[in-house]
Amino acid sequence: MLAQQIINGITQGSLFALLAISFAIVYGTLRLVNFATGSLYMIGAYTSFYVVRHVSSNLFVSLAIAAVVGFVMGLILERLAFKSLRGVSRIASLICTIGFSLFLNELAAVIFGRETRVMPSVYTGTAFRIAGTNIIWLQVIMILVAGVIVIGLQLLLFKTKMGLSIRAVSLDYKTAGLMGINVDRTISFAFGLASACAGVAGVLAAFYYNSVFPVMGTLPGLKSFSAAVFGGLTSIPGAILGGYLLGVIENLAVQVISSGYRDIVGFIILVVFLLVRPRGLLGRKIPM
Amino acid sequence: MKGIMRFSVLAVLTAVLVLAGCGGGSQQATTGEPETIHIALTAPITGDWSEYGVNFRRSVEMGIDYLNANGGVLGRQLRLSVGDTGGSPQEAATLAQRWTSDPTIVAQIGSFSSSEAMAAQPIFDAEGMVQLSPTASHTDFAPGSDWSFGIVGTQAAEGPFMANFAYNDLGLRRIAVLHLNNDWGIDTARHFSDAFTRLGGEIVRTEFYFDGERDFTAVLTRLAATNADGFFMASFFNDGAAIARQKERIGWDVAFLGPSSLYSPQLIELGGTAVDGLKTNVSFFGDDPDPRIQAYVSEFQQRFNARPNFHAALAYDAIILLADAMERAGSTDRQAIRDALAQTKDFPGLTGSITFTPAGDAQKEYRRLWVNSGRFEIWEG
Repeated sequence: MLAQQIINGITQGSLFALLAISFAIVYGTLRLVNFATGSLYMIGAYTSFYVVRHVSSNLFVSLAIAAVVGFVMGLILERLAFKSLRGVSRIASLICTIGFSLFLNELAAVIFGRETRVMPSVYTGTAFRIAGTNIIWLQVIMILVAGVIVIGLQLLLFKTKMGLSIRAVSLDYKTAGLMGINVDRTISFAFGLASACAGVAGVLAAFYYNSVFPVMGTLPGLKSFSAAVFGGLTSIPGAILGGYLLGVIENLAVQVISSGYRDIVGFIILVVFLLVRPRGLLGRKIPM
Repeated sequence: MKGIMRFSVLAVLTAVLVLAGCGGGSQQATTGEPETIHIALTAPITGDWSEYGVNFRRSVEMGIDYLNANGGVLGRQLRLSVGDTGGSPQEAATLAQRWTSDPTIVAQIGSFSSSEAMAAQPIFDAEGMVQLSPTASHTDFAPGSDWSFGIVGTQAAEGPFMANFAYNDLGLRRIAVLHLNNDWGIDTARHFSDAFTRLGGEIVRTEFYFDGERDFTAVLTRLAATNADGFFMASFFNDGAAIARQKERIGWDVAFLGPSSLYSPQLIELGGTAVDGLKTNVSFFGDDPDPRIQAYVSEFQQRFNARPNFHAALAYDAIILLADAMERAGSTDRQAIRDALAQTKDFPGLTGSITFTPAGDAQKEYRRLWVNSGRFEIWEG
C-alpha cells in the first residue's frame, strides 16, 4: 500500500515536475514567476480534447500538437504581455501573468463551456506489478515523457548554441546583448519552451484524469510553483526533484495524516522554503 | 471646460429622470389588464452543476407553458425570471436579494445545492418569500426557516434507506466512506453512517475531499487498504465518475454505492465501464411505465432532445406544486402562498406524492437503482 502511494505520488509528481520546469525556465531567464503556467496547462488539456475528437485519439499526437500550441501561446504571451514590460519593475510583469491567467481561464470557460468534459481512457492495461501494486502503461508513459523532456532540455541547454544563449541571458541579459546575443529572440524561445512544457503536462493530466475543465490548471499551477521553489527556482534538475518529491510527500500525507491535509502540505513546504532556504534544494544564490 | 462638464452631467441626470418617469408611467398602464404572475428560478445554469441547472430551467419552463396553455393560475398567465448562480452560494445570496427586492415576484424556486439554498435562506426568511427548493436535502435546510420548503426529501430519510440497501440487500458489513466536504456531503455521509452503524454495520474509515479535486488515487488507496467490503461515496455525478475510474485503476474491486445525486446520464458518459455495478436510489425513474411520467418524459425529449433525470422531474413538480398552492390560496400574496404550501397534503407529483412535514420537508419513497452494463436499471435484488 505504501508502494501504491509512492507510485501515485510519482505519477502526480511527473505533472508537477513538468510544470515546475516551466516555472524554472521562465524564472531562470527572466527572473519572473509566470503565474499563467496553470492556464497554459489547461490550454494543453483542451488542445488534446479537440485533437482526440477531430484528429486522432493517439496520446502522442496530442502531445506533439499541444507542445506546438503551447509554444505558440508562449510566444504570443511573451510578445503581448512581457516584452513591453521588460526593464520596467518586475512586479508589473508578475501581476501581468496573474491577469493573463484569469483572462485565459475565463476565455476558456466562455469558449469551451464550464462543464467537465470527458476524455477517453488510453493505455490502461497493467504494465507490471511491484510489491502487489498495479502500474498501468499510462503511468509509465507519463514518467517516461517527463524523463525525455528533462533530458532533451538538458541537451538543448548545454549542447546547443540556443542553449548557450539562454544560459548567457539568464546570467546577465544586458551583457549578453552586448556580446552579440539576440536577447529578444532568446527570451521568446525560452518562454515558448516553458509554455510547451506546461502544455504537455496538461495533455498528460487530461488523459490521466479523463477530464478537462476551465479551472483545472489553478491548483496544479500553484502546487507546482511550490515544487519549483522547493527544488530551486533557477535549477531545472531542482524543479524536477521538487516536483517528484512534492507528489510523493502529498500522497504520503494522505496516508499518514488525512485526505484533507494534502493541499496544506504543499503550501507549508512553500512557506518554509521561502523563509529558510529561498534558493531551494538545488538552486543557486541570486543576487537580488 | 468645467462648465461644459457640469452641463453634461445635468443633461444626463435630466434624461435619466425623464426616462425613469416614462418607465413608471408604462407600468401603471399595464395594471388595467390582467397582470401576469411573476416567479423566480435560481439555478446553476453554468458551472460544474450546469447539467442540473439547465434541467431545472427546462422543466420549470415546460411546467409554466403547460399551466399557461390550460388557463394559467387564478386566471392569470405565469412568467419566469431565471438567475444563474454558477454553483456559488455567494451568487445564490445575491440573487435572493434581487428577487426579494422586486415587488412583482411572488415566490422563488431554487436553488440546486443545499449550500446555495442555505446561503440564500436568511434573505428569503427576513424578506418573507417562499424558497421552494427542488433538490436541497440538507436536514437543516427546511427547518431553518418557515419560508423554506424542500421536495426531494432529506438525507435523514435517504441515508437510512441507503444504509438498509447496503446492509440488508447487498449484505455489506464494513463500509469505507468518502464525501465531498461541503454542507451537503457532510450531512449525507453522517446520516448514512449513523444508520449503517445502527443496523450493526461498521464504518471502517471516513475520508473527505474538497470541491474541484481531481486526483483521488491517494485517498482511495488509503481506503482500499482497510478491510472494507463496501464503499459509499457522497458525491455528485462528475466527481463520482472520476472516483469510480480511479478506483478501478488502483484495482480496488469492492461493492460501491452513493446517494441519488449520482443518478444522471452524464455519470455513465464520464465514468464509462468503471461505474458498472454502482448502486444508488431514486424516487423518479424515466423508464417507469406510469403514463404521467411517460407523457412528461416524451414531451421533454421532444422539446430538448435530452432525457429528463430525477432532478429535472423534481423541478417540474416544484412549479406545478407552487401553482397548486396559489390556486388553493386564491391569492398571489407572498404570505398566503407560504401558508397554502405548508398545508400541502398528498400532492401527486412525478416523483411520488408530496406531503410536507411541519418543518417543510417532503417525505419521499425511494427505489433501488443500479448501473447495469452502461444503463441505469431498477435493482431487483
